[in-house]
Amino acid sequence: MKLPSENPVRIFVALTALLLPMVVNAARPVLELEIRDHLFYPSVLKIPANTKVKLIVYNRDPTPEEFESYELNREKVIMGGQKAIVFIGPLAPGEYPFFGEFNPKTAQGKVVAE
Amino acid sequence: MYMCRFRWLLSLPLLLPSLPVLADGNLVDRVYDPYVQPLETEIEWRTLRLRDTDDPSRDRQWLHRLGIGYGFSERFFGEIYGIGERRPDESFELEAVELEGKWQLTEQGEYAADWGMLFELEREFGANAWEASATLIAAREWGRWVGTANVAAIYEWGSGVVDESESEVRAQARYRWSPVFEPALELYAAEDLLGVGPVIVGAWRLSGGRQLRWEAGIIQGLTDESPDQSLRLLLEYEFF
Repeated sequence: MKLPSENPVRIFVALTALLLPMVVNAARPVLELEIRDHLFYPSVLKIPANTKVKLIVYNRDPTPEEFESYELNREKVIMGGQKAIVFIGPLAPGEYPFFGEFNPKTAQGKVVAE
Repeated sequence: MYMCRFRWLLSLPLLLPSLPVLADGNLVDRVYDPYVQPLETEIEWRTLRLRDTDDPSRDRQWLHRLGIGYGFSERFFGEIYGIGERRPDESFELEAVELEGKWQLTEQGEYAADWGMLFELEREFGANAWEASATLIAAREWGRWVGTANVAAIYEWGSGVVDESESEVRAQARYRWSPVFEPALELYAAEDLLGVGPVIVGAWRLSGGRQLRWEAGIIQGLTDESPDQSLRLLLEYEFF
C-alpha cells in the first residue's frame, strides 16, 4: 500500500505536537564556575537537590577545556577565553564528580546536591 | 505518572502505519543523538551484515561506511563518508559518498527534551541516484535511562531510480550502566523494514581528550520484507 508522500511532514508535526507540552523553561537557580590555570573555582558546587540548575562556566585560560562528567551525563567544550552554559539536574541528593577532559589531573571538582 | 513520562516513545509505533511503502529502505543504520562538540574530530567506521533467507541477493551482504567529521562550532558538525558494499560472490566496491551535517538546536538538559537536526546528501554511483534527507532528533533523560528518537524525511531521485519520498523512524532506549557498557534496545521502521533488537554501547577514554566509542547490536526483522537479522557494528575514534 503506497500512501501520500506528505506523510513525513505529518509525522514531523505529530511528533512535535507530542513533545511540545513537555517543554518547560521555568526560572531556575544560576551558578557560576571558573576555569583558571586548569583548575575549577569553586571545586565544590552546592546545589539544591531535585532542582534543575543553570551553570555558567567561564574559561579564563587561553586554551579550550571540556567540562566532563559521566555521573551528570554532561560533556561540554568551552573555548579559551569564552563561556558556556551547562544545565544540570534535577539531581537526587549526593555527590557528582566532574573534571576537565584536557587537564584531568588538575581540573577536578564535584557537584553536591543537598 | 510513569506511563505519562514514556508516552512519546510509546506513541512512536502509532505513527508507523502511515509510513510510505517503497522498495529500497530496508537497512538498519544508527540512532543519532542531537549533541555537537566544537573542535572534535571523529573517524568513524560502521558496518552492517545482513542475513535474509527470503532474498539471496542481500543474504550475507556487507555494507561498510568510513567517515571523517569535525565540530565546526558549538552547534554544527559536518562529516563525509565513503560507503562500500560487498555482496556474496562479488568483490568489494565503493558504492556511494555522503555528506552529513548535524545541527544542535538546544542545550543538553535545558528543556524536557534535547533537540537537533541532521541533514544528509548521498550520491550513489551504481544506481546513478541522489538521496537527500532531513532528520529530526530528540533525546530525553529519565534518571539513568536515555531515550532517543530520529524521524527522517527522505527524497531520492536520479536517472537510475524512480523519484520517490520515503520516511524512517529510529529509536533507542539506553541504560547508562557505566561508561564502557550501556545496554540498549533499538527500533527501526522504514518502507521495507520493521526491526527491533538489543544493542550495547560504550566508550574507552584515552588520554588527551581522545576516546574510542563503539556500538554493536543485532536487529531482528519483524516482517517478511525485513532482513531476518541485521548485525551492526560501529567504531569511532574521537580526538581534539
